[in-house]
Amino acid sequence: MIGPLLRRLRTVTCLLVTFATAAFAKLEYGRDVRPILAENCFHCHGQDSSKRMAGLRLDTVAGATALRNGKAALVPGKPQESGIYLRITAEQKALRMPPVHSNRTLTEVQIATLKQWIAEGGEYSRHWAFVPPTRPAAPQTPWGKQPFDGFVWQKLRAEKLQPQKEVAARTWLRRAALDLTGLPPTPAELDGFERDAARRGDAAYEAAADRLLATPAYGERMAMEWLDVARYADTHGFNNDASRSMWRWRDWVIDAFNGNMPYDRFLTEQLAGDLLPKPTLDQRIATGYGRNHVINSEGGIIDEEYRVEYVADRVRTLGMSWLGLTLECARCHDHKYDPVTQKDYYRFYAFFNNVPEIGEDGRVANAVPFLPAPTKEQQKRFAELEARMAALQSKLQEEERSYRWKASHQARVTAMAAAAKPPGETVLHLPCEAAGTPEGIALVPGIGTACRLEKPTDNTMLGPMPISRRQPLTFSLWLRPTAADRDAPLLSASDYSHNRAATVFGSGIDIRLVDGELELRFGDRFPAYSMRVRSSGARVTAGEWHHVALTYAGASPKDNRAQASWVRMFADGREVPVTILNDGAGLPEAKNDKPAQRRFRIGWDNYPQGNRYAGELDEVAAWSKQLTPADIRAVFEAYALPYTLKNPNHPWLRQAALRATNKRFAQTEKALEQTQAEWLALRRETPTVMVMEEMAPGRTTHVLQRGAYNAPGEKVEPGVPEALLGAWPAGAPRNRLGLAQWLTSPNHPLTARVVVNRFWQQLFGQGLVRTSENLGLQGESPTHPEVLDWLSREFIDSGWNVKGLLRRLVLSATYRQDSAAPPNLIARDPANLLLARGPRFRLPAELIRDQALAVAGLLSQRVGGPSVYPYQPPDLYKGIVVAADYPGTSWTESKDADRHRRSLYTFWKRTVPHPTMAVFDAPDREFCIVRRSTTNTPLQALTLLNDPIYLEAARRFAERMVEQGGPTPESRLAFGFRLATGRAPDEDELHLLSKAWNQMAASYEADQQKASALVSGKASASELAAYTVVANLILNLDEVVTKG
Amino acid sequence: MLMSCGRNQRYSSRRELLARAGYGLGAAALAALCGGTASAEEAKRPFPNFAPNARRVIFLFQSGGPSHLDLFDHKPELKSRFDQDIPPSVFGGQRVTGMVAQQSRFPIVPTRYNFRQHGQSGMWFSDLLPHTAKVADDICLIRSMHTEAINHDPAITFLQTGSQLPGRPCMGAWIDYGLGTENENLPAFVVLNSLPANGMPDQGLLSRLWGAGFLPSRHQGVQFRSGADPVLHLSNPAGLSREQRRTQLDALAALNRRAYERAGDPEIETRIAQYEMAFRMQASVPELVDTSKEPDHVYKLYGEAARQPGSFAANCLLARRLAERNVRFIQLYHRGWDHHGGLTEKLPALARDTDQASAGLLLDLKQRGMLRDTLVIWGGEFGRTVYGQGAIKPDSYGRDHHGRVFSLWMAGGGVKPGYVHGASDDFGFNVAQDGVHVHDLQATILHLLGIDHTKLTYRFQGRQFRLTDVHGSVVQSIVA
Repeated sequence: MIGPLLRRLRTVTCLLVTFATAAFAKLEYGRDVRPILAENCFHCHGQDSSKRMAGLRLDTVAGATALRNGKAALVPGKPQESGIYLRITAEQKALRMPPVHSNRTLTEVQIATLKQWIAEGGEYSRHWAFVPPTRPAAPQTPWGKQPFDGFVWQKLRAEKLQPQKEVAARTWLRRAALDLTGLPPTPAELDGFERDAARRGDAAYEAAADRLLATPAYGERMAMEWLDVARYADTHGFNNDASRSMWRWRDWVIDAFNGNMPYDRFLTEQLAGDLLPKPTLDQRIATGYGRNHVINSEGGIIDEEYRVEYVADRVRTLGMSWLGLTLECARCHDHKYDPVTQKDYYRFYAFFNNVPEIGEDGRVANAVPFLPAPTKEQQKRFAELEARMAALQSKLQEEERSYRWKASHQARVTAMAAAAKPPGETVLHLPCEAAGTPEGIALVPGIGTACRLEKPTDNTMLGPMPISRRQPLTFSLWLRPTAADRDAPLLSASDYSHNRAATVFGSGIDIRLVDGELELRFGDRFPAYSMRVRSSGARVTAGEWHHVALTYAGASPKDNRAQASWVRMFADGREVPVTILNDGAGLPEAKNDKPAQRRFRIGWDNYPQGNRYAGELDEVAAWSKQLTPADIRAVFEAYALPYTLKNPNHPWLRQAALRATNKRFAQTEKALEQTQAEWLALRRETPTVMVMEEMAPGRTTHVLQRGAYNAPGEKVEPGVPEALLGAWPAGAPRNRLGLAQWLTSPNHPLTARVVVNRFWQQLFGQGLVRTSENLGLQGESPTHPEVLDWLSREFIDSGWNVKGLLRRLVLSATYRQDSAAPPNLIARDPANLLLARGPRFRLPAELIRDQALAVAGLLSQRVGGPSVYPYQPPDLYKGIVVAADYPGTSWTESKDADRHRRSLYTFWKRTVPHPTMAVFDAPDREFCIVRRSTTNTPLQALTLLNDPIYLEAARRFAERMVEQGGPTPESRLAFGFRLATGRAPDEDELHLLSKAWNQMAASYEADQQKASALVSGKASASELAAYTVVANLILNLDEVVTKG
Repeated sequence: MLMSCGRNQRYSSRRELLARAGYGLGAAALAALCGGTASAEEAKRPFPNFAPNARRVIFLFQSGGPSHLDLFDHKPELKSRFDQDIPPSVFGGQRVTGMVAQQSRFPIVPTRYNFRQHGQSGMWFSDLLPHTAKVADDICLIRSMHTEAINHDPAITFLQTGSQLPGRPCMGAWIDYGLGTENENLPAFVVLNSLPANGMPDQGLLSRLWGAGFLPSRHQGVQFRSGADPVLHLSNPAGLSREQRRTQLDALAALNRRAYERAGDPEIETRIAQYEMAFRMQASVPELVDTSKEPDHVYKLYGEAARQPGSFAANCLLARRLAERNVRFIQLYHRGWDHHGGLTEKLPALARDTDQASAGLLLDLKQRGMLRDTLVIWGGEFGRTVYGQGAIKPDSYGRDHHGRVFSLWMAGGGVKPGYVHGASDDFGFNVAQDGVHVHDLQATILHLLGIDHTKLTYRFQGRQFRLTDVHGSVVQSIVA
């Protein structure tokens, strides 16, 4: 049968138009010839040996010139003797290439091109981007401030052009500030810089660049670009599109840029931070890069189908991020154009195929694997609390060491036991006494008598009791496991009888013992749609009696979620930390729904193979409420103390006696408990982040035929196309870490070029290779290959110094050119491919809003933290989002300063992106994007004119003009204009602004009511309303939304 | 070369120009904007490739998967097979969803609804669609649609973009990219979402369904909303009149023109033009969505629900008004068809929501002479299984997703009226005859618009993409 995505996949066949070329003087193989051969010949005579016909290979010079029956397909210089030319011009249909059945035909121009190429010597050349960059000698030229400027100048001279004059200092500052920090310079900064530049020239520029690179806003600006590449978002995508928590990864990116982390480390930690020796928390957080992809939680999808997509997404993102290659083209068949085979693709794929993940996951929270990722402040607090706990702990141990049992302690402990009053109102109770023990359970000696499962039957059950995710719960029981109880059901009301693929597999609730720890499973489907929480430190040992308990607080009424962090666990009367393995429990039942009545299998479950708990149980109890830690302690003590009184050396007894008789011990213990409670509470608040992990043993990777998840072919090992892109580093491990080492080896032909090209794009509006996503054979050629190579080499040699590179770029003469140019130059080079003028581009979506907020004085400059919810049309999601109340399906506007944070912190919902950003071409981030489009539409005009975000900015901007802009309308308008554009208006411009203001002021004077509707609660409403309209006008100026 | 107002002839190529300009403003519109006429160059636009049958499309998308077995695909012989197992030969390699993976058997549930033949054509419809039945002779019913996807997101994405995974442009965006607009006051691609009249919808939609994918983002659909602001941020704020806005925009334009004189960047001129279009939209859109002057006899066609803003019926009426103004692609979404359980309670209401309004739209277009060149499409992302999901009774059941065969109808725009294409097998489970794959449907829609689907391509990341990938063939037998 046909695989699900197969039809789509088969189709990714990379069809291409070939160039009509005969116009070129001397042909270039890569540009002129290869596309023709690739499109028409390589299908049967290319690198794919399984498809190769007649043993002829035309993609290598060796193959083309090899003698076959005494003849060669290519005889350099001699078309009439070359098989290629003879066959493409053969009269006889049967001989003519390409064959009729291939549906391919060569045009006359193409035939002429091939003929000319053979005549010119039939040279094959290696694609420029697959040859490691070397540093070209920078020419000495009369113009230039950085060595690479010389190359630009040379090319301009060759075109008989001059560079544009240097742009005004203030304009450079605005340009550089927007490029490096995303925020406009303040008037004070402009004044200071203009003075400094007049005095010190280049030194002032250097100082300004250093200052910009040192602001925290720099890291935010750089992160903004990277978030597109790494497809960061705050929701999982697909039609449920619930929220996820990846902001700790996003903050890692900001910190990395601000700390000027060398780019090779930036790459390595994101790709393989978890595989570094003794990885730090930050290094593990960094691997969130590999988990930013969309994750599907639609009920009923086939797990493997989507898991394969996630792995494929990682390969695609790797290809775009750092290789500049469309690796995904080789998913279903060998790449049609780049020398990447399907096998190469799956060798890349093998690096990313070992994540312990689930295809259908992420319905209400992060998908596995994820990690608690405390913030810097939380980490500090954890360290403080842990130090305190350790100190208290050792104090207690000291007291215990000097302790000796005295007969008088007996009475004190007995009194304590008697005072311990377990709370009543149990909804379940199995005392394991003669009365009330169900069939299938044997009574054996224990604490009194205890239960042991003999033979499960339909009656070997406890209950029913009401179970609901809305409902708080407590379970408590005593147990003495055997050594064989490695994963044993203690109480099971989950249904494991179905096929694992079924959406109801494992629905219900389970309490299990797993490797000496307590585990709760509670949800709709195991494991992805359940909360699965395991204690960490209960240490239930075989052959010993232990008490365990767990409580669940019920779904939070605030966000209507059943969260795993609401589960707390206890061992032997003390709370123990928990690890959340899955946090996917479904939504609580409707408020009016009756909770399900569940019966618990005692010590067994209904997996088809049937698991059994072999040890003993006693005093099993449950409550439909959340007991406090003190209650749990009472439950424990009431049974523990009488039991241990027979054994004076038992630590429980020792501790109880100390508690009763030694004030210092009791106080220290109390202090420890309080500290621990605080520590546990902090753990529950800790955000998580999805990360990369390796399974042991890993999955076996196969070539997937036609890319289909259910059509595995040849087995492959992780590896890279070494012949094409360089050898695997000696001694590097065959995993993602080795892959990172390979990518960052100093002679890798692509990594540095791809990265440098993207930084160039950020500053100049387009890359030196305009197709920044593709440096392969189908990408465009670099406009200035020497500049790209010089900078790439410099970047590597400088230790992958990002700030150093950007500093060079903004200080260069190329960047410092005026972007204004005479019409004839713009006509000659509309896309500015020659760099004969400075960059002029509309700002990205985020910068347009951030600038408006900054100009208005509204911007909050707080760095990092959870994503925020600025104004968004309240009914935006209506009619679009899924009906279920998953997190992320409603928008509650943030309060206070969080409404005015920088736009990169705006909650990014993939299926309904924030319209204020989407309208300015911000992508939905469903997959990696390295280049946004820059459109110019009427909807953008409507947004800037009427979006409440921009109206609010205009109102505050108007107030600022009035407050800070001097005494007259003219001075205020000039002040406002300069705030937004970075320059003073000229006479005409000021006149136009004044005229508009006067007209507005007059009309509002005539209609005060209207003025008050626009600007509420101000005394001189008509004037302020007029300033507001002009402020709105200024924020709409082309010059304001453009970096020029 | 063409472009704005004669002054600026500086785009390196037409493509570059179009890539930067606003909506797919056709030359005619741009020229009209500037008071001129379309240039000879623009007359050579590659699309349409041949004379089109349809000039515009209204797609009445029924999200969730309407049950073909209870609406369109009459299988009387199933009546006697209630609760019998599907023969394995029919079941074949069905990829079952996780929602029924636990079922030990897949029992047949015949429809509980009566089917009757209608019109000259004798087309079968269930009694749930009395109004659609009345326009049977205008309808071309395809009973042999099929898709590979078995879940909503991939299936809707597939139908709208030709790929199951996100990232490709949707059909409306492709068509806007290919044909441009014929109305300088409105977007060429408009989206109208409606909610079911009774109860909540189930599955979510995604704005990528009207997204431009890798095409320039101006080709994405513009969502028209019910309520005060039919297009996001269309209305001026309280306290700013249209005259004041005009004054403000005049000053803005004057300042932007000075910037143009200084910088020479043609982008500035485009921006000036876009502000003018925005200003015009502020008038044209409210006029468009104001249906208060529609006469009662029109409301009779669509049903009283058409007076309820945001209802499917109201959106059908809006669709006609958009069509009158030559909006190219009008995409409606109606949600709530995902009837895994309780189909028999929910389906009648959903049918009521859409039946009269859809038929009314056809009648209205027809009497205005617009059905000829307006292609109307009614259908969802897949059908539903002949086997029941969960507990079944003869009059109460649910059905799972089913992509191997389902039904969809088209009307007008050059398709054969009163015509049934293809057939499913006796179980409504597999295609028995003349299957129409999703890519075939897309190829056919483009064909009706005069576009060769193999030629409508866009180069992205080094290769040429198209809506139909490398598949799809035009279903010639439904073309009139």
